[in-house]
Amino acid sequence: MAGSLDIGGSQFDVSWFLLLAAALFTLGAVGVLVRRNPLIILISIELMLNAVNLTLVAFSRQLENLEGQLFALMTMTVAAAEAVVGLAILVDIFRVRDLEDIDDLSELKG
Amino acid sequence: MNASAVALSILLFPAAGALLLAGRGWRMPRVVTQIVGPGVVWLSFAATLWLFFNQVNGDFAYWTWIKSGSFELPFNLLVDNLSIFMCMVITGVGGLIVTYSVGYMAHEDGPSYARFFTYMDVFIFSMLLLVLAGNFVFLIIGWALVGLSSYFLIGFWYQRRSAVLAARKAFVMNVIGDVGMILGTFVLFVTYHAVTYAGVFSHLTSLASVGDSAPLELAAFLLLVGAVAKSAQIPLHTWLPDAMEGPTPVSALIHAATMVTAGVYLVARMHPIYDITTYAHDAVAIIGAVTALFAATIAIVQTDIKRVLAYSTMSQIGYMFLAVGIGAYAAGLFHLLAHGFFKALLFMAAGNVIHAMHDEQDMRKYGGLWNQMRPTSVTFLIGCLSLVGVIPFVGFFSKEQILGAAFSRPGSLGLTVWAIGFATALITGFYTGRMWWLSFWGKPSPQRPVEHPHEAPMVMMIPVAILAVLATVGGVIQTSVLGFGPSAVSSYLDKVVTAAWWEAGRFPGGYTREFLVAIALLTMVLAAALFAGALRMRPWSAVVPWAQRLLERKYYFDEIYNAAFVRTMDAVASIGYRDVEKVVIDGAVVGTGEAAEATAGSLRLTQSGYFRNYVLVFIAGALIAAALLLVRTS
Repeated sequence: MAGSLDIGGSQFDVSWFLLLAAALFTLGAVGVLVRRNPLIILISIELMLNAVNLTLVAFSRQLENLEGQLFALMTMTVAAAEAVVGLAILVDIFRVRDLEDIDDLSELKG
Repeated sequence: MNASAVALSILLFPAAGALLLAGRGWRMPRVVTQIVGPGVVWLSFAATLWLFFNQVNGDFAYWTWIKSGSFELPFNLLVDNLSIFMCMVITGVGGLIVTYSVGYMAHEDGPSYARFFTYMDVFIFSMLLLVLAGNFVFLIIGWALVGLSSYFLIGFWYQRRSAVLAARKAFVMNVIGDVGMILGTFVLFVTYHAVTYAGVFSHLTSLASVGDSAPLELAAFLLLVGAVAKSAQIPLHTWLPDAMEGPTPVSALIHAATMVTAGVYLVARMHPIYDITTYAHDAVAIIGAVTALFAATIAIVQTDIKRVLAYSTMSQIGYMFLAVGIGAYAAGLFHLLAHGFFKALLFMAAGNVIHAMHDEQDMRKYGGLWNQMRPTSVTFLIGCLSLVGVIPFVGFFSKEQILGAAFSRPGSLGLTVWAIGFATALITGFYTGRMWWLSFWGKPSPQRPVEHPHEAPMVMMIPVAILAVLATVGGVIQTSVLGFGPSAVSSYLDKVVTAAWWEAGRFPGGYTREFLVAIALLTMVLAAALFAGALRMRPWSAVVPWAQRLLERKYYFDEIYNAAFVRTMDAVASIGYRDVEKVVIDGAVVGTGEAAEATAGSLRLTQSGYFRNYVLVFIAGALIAAALLLVRTS
């Protein structure tokens, strides 16, 4: 099993892709944790999903198995659906009140 | 007609009457209650007479109540001379008393009026079930039901606190007896594997067939507990005087003529057991004799006319216990009949007086009624003389039989109980005389509530008059005690209550009839002299003040029971409340709640409501899971 991938003629070690994916994922996770704007949080979630997609595609190429790429397509579909639902909820909340901080939505605290 | 159907109908008439009055009685016109209430009792009386004249004898099984493996409990009625005799007393005397109630309770409003007759019919039904039952289970059911109806009737005027307390006391005392009965039945069942009379008694046909008599003694003592509680004998007697809180017809029917004599019936019905047992049988006689004397002495100082009669009832039932305790079953049952006549008469005549005196029951506030209420006075006097045991009246014949049997019984027990019975007869003469002279003789008391009392209406006077006639001439059916004439009652009952193997020389006696009659006449003369002398012996209590106080406090039985049981239980209960309930149980319950609340209080901090907190926890969890996976795989 080859340790590197051929991208446009250049050889890249698979670990670069994984490092990039990890960096993107971390960015997304931290974004979700520290940002308070709901839209930014949704974008951060998309970022994490795409980081995962990147690992799936990278491994798919390395293992020469198309299932990983299929799974990435699947993830994109789910991500689109999730974005739709998330935005719909946000729009609904915006209709009721002026929301700029996600922490304002803490009525369900114990 | 079918004998078994007639026997069942004796029970069904009062049951149907009670159901009708309970369901519809208060909505129907008063006259319906007046006809149905006593009417069903007279129908039962007619059915009983039919059984009597057709000389029906039999153990009729109607259906199987319980069937489980080899155990089978039938609903069977035992019709023999003893149960027919008891049914005649219950429905005959009962019919007269319920008829009398039509007048006595006339002041009650519609619903209460119907309620009273409902209870009375329930009582008659229960009492008939008690005496007709052919097995121990239905005996206990009837036994408990008469206690229940007694409770209802004592507490009939439930607006009065004292009546409610008296009803409760009677119920508790009776339940002690019920428990004894149930345990006794259980012992018999364990020993003989039978619950029908026929099944149990078939094991007891002779002394030799019994073998170990210890379980039998135990069962007999336990049954005796039931009899003692129901018949208000020492030491379970304290409920009867308080039971006088009930209406007077109730006192006449339940607490004089029928229910309280159930104990006597029980011992007579269980005679195959008591014939074999020695200690339990002697205990019956001793309890009876002691109660007879003890209650008579208390009756001397009572001032409430109904309480005098209540203690007199205890005393006379003591005589019956004495009689059945020495094996003279027929004599005891004849006294039951005689007592049913004259004590119901006394209670109902006293009821006439109480009615006329606007519910005043203190004899010291009567006086001088002889001229103003002549018919009641005459009937009351007949009752008194019968109670004292003067010769043409029925009381003489029954008492003579009991004392004669006791006197001629070999052994020291017979003589002892005879001596107590003799002393009781004299005291009876005295307290009866005191009651009579105080209430009816002399000048009217200045405190008397009514200046010119009215005589009772006919519906009350006629039953009293009938009982007065019975109390006067009732003795003729048993004149054989004088050495001539019939012995209708004892020869009728001896067919049932005397076991063939036992007859062989129970009372050889050795005394001639004339000697026993002479003793009886001596007793009668002394008692009658005390009866007459009570007129002048009024300030007797000043002589021994401490004895007066002892009697007025009824030998401190109530106080002793209060100290020994009520207060002890109260103390135990308050300890339980303070140290167990409050500390342990409340501690556990409240502690559980508080612990849950405290835990929840700390857990709720995790539910901050902030989205990022949840995400943080989620991510941290994912990281931990990933780390664990790495550790596992490497």
